[in-house]
Amino acid sequence: MLAIETRNLTRRFGATLAVDAVSLNVPKGCVYGFMGRNGAGKTTTLKMLLGLIRADQGTIRIAGIDARADRLGAARCMGALLEAHGFYAHLSGRENLDITRTLLGLSRNEVDRVLEIVDLRRQADRRVGGYSLGMRQRLGIARAMLGSPAVLILDEPTNGLDPDGIADMRIFLRDLPVRTGATVLLSSHLLGEVEHVADRVGIVHQGRLVLEDDLVSLRAGQAPRLRLGCDAPEQARALLAGLGLTLSVEPEGGLVSLRPSDDAPGVARQLNRTLVEAGIGVHELSPCPRSLEDIYRDITLMSPTPTEEAA
Amino acid sequence: MLRVLTVELRKLNRSLAAALAVAAPGLIAVFTFFNVLRGKTPQPWDMWMIGCLGIWAFFMLPMSVTALTALVAQMEHSPRSWDHLRALPLRRWTLYAAKAVSVFLVVALMSVAVLVLSWAAVRLAVTLKPQLDPTGAFETRAYLETMGRIYLAAVLLIAVQLWLALRFSSFVPGLVVGIGGTFFAVVATSARIGVFLPWQMPINMLATDGWRMHTALGLGLGGGLLVLTLALWHLSRREVL
Repeated sequence: MLAIETRNLTRRFGATLAVDAVSLNVPKGCVYGFMGRNGAGKTTTLKMLLGLIRADQGTIRIAGIDARADRLGAARCMGALLEAHGFYAHLSGRENLDITRTLLGLSRNEVDRVLEIVDLRRQADRRVGGYSLGMRQRLGIARAMLGSPAVLILDEPTNGLDPDGIADMRIFLRDLPVRTGATVLLSSHLLGEVEHVADRVGIVHQGRLVLEDDLVSLRAGQAPRLRLGCDAPEQARALLAGLGLTLSVEPEGGLVSLRPSDDAPGVARQLNRTLVEAGIGVHELSPCPRSLEDIYRDITLMSPTPTEEAA
Repeated sequence: MLRVLTVELRKLNRSLAAALAVAAPGLIAVFTFFNVLRGKTPQPWDMWMIGCLGIWAFFMLPMSVTALTALVAQMEHSPRSWDHLRALPLRRWTLYAAKAVSVFLVVALMSVAVLVLSWAAVRLAVTLKPQLDPTGAFETRAYLETMGRIYLAAVLLIAVQLWLALRFSSFVPGLVVGIGGTFFAVVATSARIGVFLPWQMPINMLATDGWRMHTALGLGLGGGLLVLTLALWHLSRREVL
């Protein structure tokens, strides 16, 4: 069953097509990484899911509920951390949570429950104005979790966090579906972060969903690569061309792209032998899995721009 | 609706809006206190209390409403909390209606505070100079009735200022209209057409001309309720991008 399902979701702002027929499939209980550059259409899509702006076209189902026909019903299934936290700085963290708790009609101990999950109980009675960015992010997640919604929508949850905060948040998000049973839709432009926590990803580019897949199968479908460190890269490139392999020289070393059908260890052996026999010293030869960033770059470079498509 | 209203009132706790609600009537009381002390002979209660009602209706009420609506709206605009509130499973008009009710409630409390603090200021001044003890009776009921009329005539001005403050994320449009409205209300005090200016409607409750008083009261209350309804309809339907 899908926790979030959209079909041909479209939104225009004047002449700009901000979201173009986006069809998301977010399975229950997963962490879904919704990625794209700034201005790609992520926030507009999230705002439509939350009912904050109207869709011009398309359908939205949240936990099986038609969100366009029944906004209140769908909203009851969702909790959200938006980029702008919207906290009242003159009130304490607990008071801020209590405001949302009251609005949702939940019991008083719900505030302590979510504060415990985000580990903020000790600082809960301090004014939010004095909170660090990391504490505000955690408080935002706590607020999103009030009432244990089936779907959590988190917009850029690692924004502005220091490296320790990012690491903590990563562990926290990774465990969230197990701890709470919720489905997490995580929107971010930090691909490395998404890669660490997501089970499934969707890439939005110029308003379109250009890719949606499970991270495991996405990686499995990619051609393997080898990282090569050698004495004479230019000479090596010519030799590898003879073997039908491409060597790209990057600042951190050479990258050899293989074909999806290639047996990577076998190619590595052959490559090493060829280079050594040609008198080129090899000091590094190791598998180099494609990162989500590489996949993202390949996909977004391949997708045509609206102008190209019109042409 | 009651839940949303409770939350609105809780948000005022330790806020600048709450500080303003105390400061504005307090300033009138401070002014009255020193004014009484300046006197040489005792004056009637009516003079002090009508004077306080006049300052409130003429200047302090329109300016306080301008500042109060801006502060209450900025509480949501500044941290951009509208998105969070509007995403909750609540009917959106209730969010704005609760905001309106809380503002009207605060203005009502400020109005009562003007009377109470002004009375207290006169009494305090008299303890320092007992020879200035006001003459005549303290007409509680009459002062409350006049203040009630001032309040009802101010409904239109409150509704207009609140609409502007909630509609624009910047406080500037509300402030410009509020200051401009108060300015024209002051300079056009004696003009007959001034009775149609929302910022002058409250002061017309002290007019001796019955037509002015009834016109301002009718327009202030009736127009105010109409503008408030339109504001709730408009704000709950619009998209906050």
